[in-house]
Amino acid sequence: MTAKLPKRPQLTREELQQIRWLLGNALTLLAAWTVFYMDIEAWTLMVLTSVAAGVMLVRPDLPGRVPKVVHTLAFPAIVTFFAADLWIKAELLPAMVRLDMLLLLYRTISYRQRRDDLQLIVLGLFLIVIAGVLTVSLTFAAQILLYTACALAFLLVITLTDGSAAGTPAGAAQPQALPAWAQHVSWIHLARRLRVAVDWRVIGMAGILFAGVVGLSALLFLAIPRFQLESGMLLDRFITKKARSGFSDTIRFGDVTEIQQDDAVALSVDVSDRAQIPATPYWRMLVLDHYDNATFRLSPALRSAPNFEPERSAAFITGRAVPRRGRTVFWTFYLEPGVSRYLPLLGHFERLRFREQQTFRTAPLLAVVQLRTEPVTMAAYQVEDFDLSGTVADRSYGQRWRQRDEPAQARGGLQVQLGISERDRATVRRLLGEAQVDGGLEPAVFAQRVNRWLRQRHAYTLSPVIPEGEGDPLVRWMASGEAGHCELFAGAFVVMARVAGFPSRVVTGFKGGSWNAYSNNFTIRNSDAHAWAEIFDEAAATYGAWLRSDPLGIIADGESDAMGGEAAIEARLDRSWTARLDSLRVFWYRRIVNFDRGSQLETLRAAKEATQNAGKRFREAVEQALRGVKGWLTAPWDGGRVIRLVGLAATGVGLVWFWREFGRSWWRKWRGRKPRAGFDPVRREASRWLGRIEEERGAVPEREAIVLELRRLRFGARSTWAAPEKIFRRAREGLRAVRKSR
Amino acid sequence: MSDFVPAAQITDARQAVDRLRTNMQRTIRGKDDVLEQVLVCLVAGGHLLIEDLPGVGKTTLAYSLARSMDCVFSRIQFTSDLLPSDVTGVAIYDETVKEFVFKKGPVFANVVLADEINRATPKTQSALLEVMDRARVTIDGEPHAVGSPFMVFATQNPVDYEGTFPLPESQMDRFLMRLRMGYPEPGDELEILRTARGGYDAIALNPVVTRTEILGLQALAHQVFIEDSVLDFILKIVAATRTESEFRAGVSVRGGVALRSAAQARALVHQRDFILPEDVVELVAPVLAHRLALARQSSDALEERRAVAAALKRIVGSIPLPQ
Repeated sequence: MTAKLPKRPQLTREELQQIRWLLGNALTLLAAWTVFYMDIEAWTLMVLTSVAAGVMLVRPDLPGRVPKVVHTLAFPAIVTFFAADLWIKAELLPAMVRLDMLLLLYRTISYRQRRDDLQLIVLGLFLIVIAGVLTVSLTFAAQILLYTACALAFLLVITLTDGSAAGTPAGAAQPQALPAWAQHVSWIHLARRLRVAVDWRVIGMAGILFAGVVGLSALLFLAIPRFQLESGMLLDRFITKKARSGFSDTIRFGDVTEIQQDDAVALSVDVSDRAQIPATPYWRMLVLDHYDNATFRLSPALRSAPNFEPERSAAFITGRAVPRRGRTVFWTFYLEPGVSRYLPLLGHFERLRFREQQTFRTAPLLAVVQLRTEPVTMAAYQVEDFDLSGTVADRSYGQRWRQRDEPAQARGGLQVQLGISERDRATVRRLLGEAQVDGGLEPAVFAQRVNRWLRQRHAYTLSPVIPEGEGDPLVRWMASGEAGHCELFAGAFVVMARVAGFPSRVVTGFKGGSWNAYSNNFTIRNSDAHAWAEIFDEAAATYGAWLRSDPLGIIADGESDAMGGEAAIEARLDRSWTARLDSLRVFWYRRIVNFDRGSQLETLRAAKEATQNAGKRFREAVEQALRGVKGWLTAPWDGGRVIRLVGLAATGVGLVWFWREFGRSWWRKWRGRKPRAGFDPVRREASRWLGRIEEERGAVPEREAIVLELRRLRFGARSTWAAPEKIFRRAREGLRAVRKSR
Repeated sequence: MSDFVPAAQITDARQAVDRLRTNMQRTIRGKDDVLEQVLVCLVAGGHLLIEDLPGVGKTTLAYSLARSMDCVFSRIQFTSDLLPSDVTGVAIYDETVKEFVFKKGPVFANVVLADEINRATPKTQSALLEVMDRARVTIDGEPHAVGSPFMVFATQNPVDYEGTFPLPESQMDRFLMRLRMGYPEPGDELEILRTARGGYDAIALNPVVTRTEILGLQALAHQVFIEDSVLDFILKIVAATRTESEFRAGVSVRGGVALRSAAQARALVHQRDFILPEDVVELVAPVLAHRLALARQSSDALEERRAVAAALKRIVGSIPLPQ
């Protein structure tokens, strides 16, 4: 038989209640001291609350001596204070802080029930949060930690006290009723009891856990701003493989087609003016100018300055589009995660705005924006006024192109080089001959003819076959007449154009999309992924521009307006169930995304002004009333005025007398005729007088008889009542007699 | 039910109750609180179970009450071989009239002392069910009314369970109250030592109230007014016992009605024609405790009684009194 361990002494319920009081007041002090960190005029209240909390901590029996009238008037007084504060000072936050402080003060001078204790925590938390927003200081951090630990211990003690006795005696529900635990408090004795009753190993474990949580939070706090949140949290490993198949700056033949296999939504676009929607939108993402062995990529020359600007962080980008007349058209993009770090755009734009500051690089002349990393959550941005001409004006390139023969001019960024052999070039030249085009043609005409020739020679397929053989695979395909996909068509165009002497490049992105009939926005899916070409025309757009040339579509020139606007929407309208589901996603995005901080600020400013104006009007009304009273008092006194004043006073006194003598009893009779649940004015009045007499410790004359009669009024049958007014009067007189005798 | 009791009737009731109390105090010393509960039970028209150790005055109390009233009194000593017919009576074939004649049992009285009721078998205990509920006995399909007023005054010992049969819950529910006598205070016990003479026959008390007066008191108690907030208070107490996890089952509807009746009777005993919340609070333990059993079984009967009383006290404390 094992020896029985001695049982650890348990804290009594009263002792737990004392600890609860101690922790509650400590929380109040910690919360009140947050005023030190705020530039808010609440010093008087802070001092009052601190003193009250300290005094009530030392003497927990004092709340029992607070007169009942304080508790009766507390609520209306606090509400009035808050309303007056709000109207006169006309500032919401400081008024709320003062209200909070006042509530803390009241909770400190009254015995608290469970709900009051919980309210105390919330009140303190409010102050802590406000102070936390307004300040950054190490002392405050220590205070928050202390508050958190204190609040946790407080909650634990609340749970323990409530668990040790479900429910409290009905009498303790009164905030001024002196509870048993508060009658003989000795903090020294309690400390001794705590020392023997508390298992310090548990306290130690709790301390270690708390320190662990605080340490981890501190580490995260310090670490997160130093690198991207998503990489810091290792979020990228949760990105699905499908989402990783997005566009990059290197495209091998088949990459775009692979993206097309995925039918998921890649992009949703809200347009503020439906009339501006082009017939076939081409959502450009990336320009690929270097070709080598079945791979198009962004060349280092194009990737560097002056094309790509250095990386920077900002919330908006100013674009190169020529400002258009009329109302600004807003294009709001919701880019799904994993699509690309290159933002889909319709061309040059006036302004691009992010929800929050982003780190990015821009290529203004290429109309390309590249985020530092691929977003792992939905990325939203808003574009103002796209250049919807279907061309990408590039004045700088035009200048360089015109000076291409000068020795100092670098050939790298001219987008005319080709990584193919001379034999392949010869093949391409032969094909150019077959297509009956040469470098002497206008670029637009050249593009039209080549595209037509390519479409006639090759069919479209998602599973192309490139013939085996020597030389470049693209040239082999061009020479074969096999069917191909968009990358092969675009690549073939670029190769033919460059061999013919035209600057050209491949562009990747999305083409078209559907118009969601439920949420009224463009929905672009991965299956809309596309590759097309651009050819430079030095005569276009005054100083030269890149014309879109889609061998699988039509050349941009002159196409746009004919089928744009409502007609384009009608042609792309999607009313399917998928569209219904997609619309939910867009509704959500619209709810959480807000670019318009200006309107938010405007609303806040308007609210502030309204409050200030109301406070001003209130002050004016009060001042006017005071002036009126002053004027009336200072006006010369004559007999008529005196008579009127006396008459007014007499009427007032008469009304009061009439009400007390008859009005109240009539009122009670009238209300008592149809007694409602829980409401009978006589019973309520009797209950009130019973409470007053019970609280009165002095000798009330005829106390027993009065109490019996009052009890009859409160609990007896109505038919046995004898003149309630007289009984109330007796009670009133009895209480007055006691007070006078003191 | 009228909500108005004439003051004269209240005065008469007060006088009758005072006479009874004073008369009983001559033999029961220092137990005014128990006497008041007994009077409340009598005025409410209920049955009483007194549970305590042997020799603390349970039977004396019953004798005192019976002899203070102008009523028929009978005593049944319950034993394990007692048959139901020994309590209720039996039909005997009468050779002279050539038919069965009902011979009344000891239950046909106004005050029946069921001494050590838990020593009888459940079958015999159950013989009391009908008579306690409806004040009549049915033998061979024929009802026989017992005395009016009718009160069963049962005693039992909570500790000595050897050879006893605990009363079933349905039987316990028929008792309006369960009381404990407890030991007298030293001063009162000294007086008892000085004056007590052996045997119950030595209890020399004259009747001070008539049977009609008792019936009048019981009728008057039903007219005592109950305000809605007090009824609501009773309802909340009863409902709380049904949700309290410590109890196997809550108080029955009969239990709630019993609490109301007892409170009405207490108000009348205190010369009031309306109930105060204090009436209810005072009667919660005696009226409800014996109707409740702990969810966890306890081998110690006294411990169980204490736990039930503590839980009830907590429940009453958690419900605000109508102010």
